[in-house]
Amino acid sequence: MVEPAWTPGACAIVGIGATDFSKASGRSPLTLAAQASRAALADAGIDPRSVDGIVRCDMDLVSAPALADSLGVPDLTYWGETGPGGSGPAAMVGQAVAAVTAGLATTVVVFRSLNGRSGNRYGLVGERGAIGGEGSYDEFFLPFGMQTPGQFFAVVARRYAHEHGLTLDELTHGLGSIALASRAHANANPAAQFFDRPMTRDDYLASRMLADPLRLFDFCLETDGAAAVVVTTTERARDLAGTAVPVLSVAQGTGRGVQPGQMFPALLRPSITSWPSAAAAPTVFGRAGISPADVDVAQMYDCFSITALMQLEDYGFVAPGQAAHLTEADLSVGGTLPVNTSGGHLSEGYIHGMNHVLEGVRQIRGTSTNQVEGAELSFVTSAPPPGASALVLGADR
Amino acid sequence: MTDQNTPLVPVIDDVDTGGFFAAAARGELAIRVCSECRADLHLPRENCPRCGAFSQEWRTVAGAGTLYSWTVVEHQVHPAYPVPYTVVLVELDDAKDVRLLGRLDGRPSLEIGQPMQAWFEQVGDATLPQWRPAAEPSEENV
Repeated sequence: MVEPAWTPGACAIVGIGATDFSKASGRSPLTLAAQASRAALADAGIDPRSVDGIVRCDMDLVSAPALADSLGVPDLTYWGETGPGGSGPAAMVGQAVAAVTAGLATTVVVFRSLNGRSGNRYGLVGERGAIGGEGSYDEFFLPFGMQTPGQFFAVVARRYAHEHGLTLDELTHGLGSIALASRAHANANPAAQFFDRPMTRDDYLASRMLADPLRLFDFCLETDGAAAVVVTTTERARDLAGTAVPVLSVAQGTGRGVQPGQMFPALLRPSITSWPSAAAAPTVFGRAGISPADVDVAQMYDCFSITALMQLEDYGFVAPGQAAHLTEADLSVGGTLPVNTSGGHLSEGYIHGMNHVLEGVRQIRGTSTNQVEGAELSFVTSAPPPGASALVLGADR
Repeated sequence: MTDQNTPLVPVIDDVDTGGFFAAAARGELAIRVCSECRADLHLPRENCPRCGAFSQEWRTVAGAGTLYSWTVVEHQVHPAYPVPYTVVLVELDDAKDVRLLGRLDGRPSLEIGQPMQAWFEQVGDATLPQWRPAAEPSEENV
């Protein structure tokens, strides 16, 4: 079998940009995408008209040509997309790297834009006649009352506790540690939606149960906003205004038996307590030539607390069954593995994994509001369950 | 326009999954099976990941299973599904690794690994195989 060749650090993220994160942006997804992209290009020191490539998420309402038009791009000569959904962002950066290294583009904007609160909210079951068919397999789930991602992850969480011999209190301890660390980080990040909302463990435990065993604060924030990065070669990036953050590694994985459809069919996989992230793990660390222990700071995709918790095990930061024993101190700046230092989806905002990429870049630049001192290896993941992707970002030294 | 208070009805004539609901309408539980290597193919599809064959066979299985996991839904989403209700994930005794969902009212006392049995619910034109705990405790009426 031929192994793909990968050159660590050939390309870099040279600009990052985001809109404000809110419950009601009052703007279209196209406006949000243009704002975030222009901010990223300004950060990079690149004229928007010199963009020649755009990569989007398959669930975005904004097309690549539409964004190019907004940016005043005279001729967009490369575009691409990945997903499914939140499995995208790290892979979207990977697709930009692939385009640049293949000579298909020089300057690629990677973006995610959504009115996730005021526009199309997830998990709403509309009036749409008979459910499922056409390869969605929704007919096996929605009519049986399995209708939202939170309900899905609640079934996963209970099974996780069972397989590892944890009581629900022990499970809740671990989930709470992630929620609390994320919240404390958000409380130091003025851009976070929960910037001014401190939370104690008692507050967390008192939050109402939405889908037992998951509580309100195990759920992410539905958010309006956009985030974008600019990818080019590391060599060219050195001549630009923005501080280049080389992409040391990027990987995607599905693992075996992922099932067709989107999210709910993942309940029928051989295991529901280990995700495609376990498949992506050896690839992403192998391409960077590092081990999980080398990582200084991690942005773990957290549509729910349990999603981040299980990935800590899939990526090898802790042994299977051990993540629930972590404390919020372990996961905070100064701890053994600081995670979601912008507040993540739970407390900064849900830009479908793209805000995690931006925070991963800030940690290498030394510009995070929760800076890990001397961070040299920054890790970013994008959602299981449909697939998983991940990035290792490093310093250009 | 569908009445918001009507339970969701599944598509029952999909080319890959229709046989499941056709069997349910006869009071049977059926899963797709590969005609060549006899691997169970659930979710139902024609192409077998194990041997590569394409086939359209169904096999009938017993309505007996084991509780794999569950959630109690406390947050109201669809008006036809009043909370609290419980969604159970059940692994078939006849087909290991094949799992199906069911819905129970309220917050029943459950335990992973407990035996479950199928029953059939009529919803509009569709028949849904549902699941409930097997062998109800005899002191239930005490």
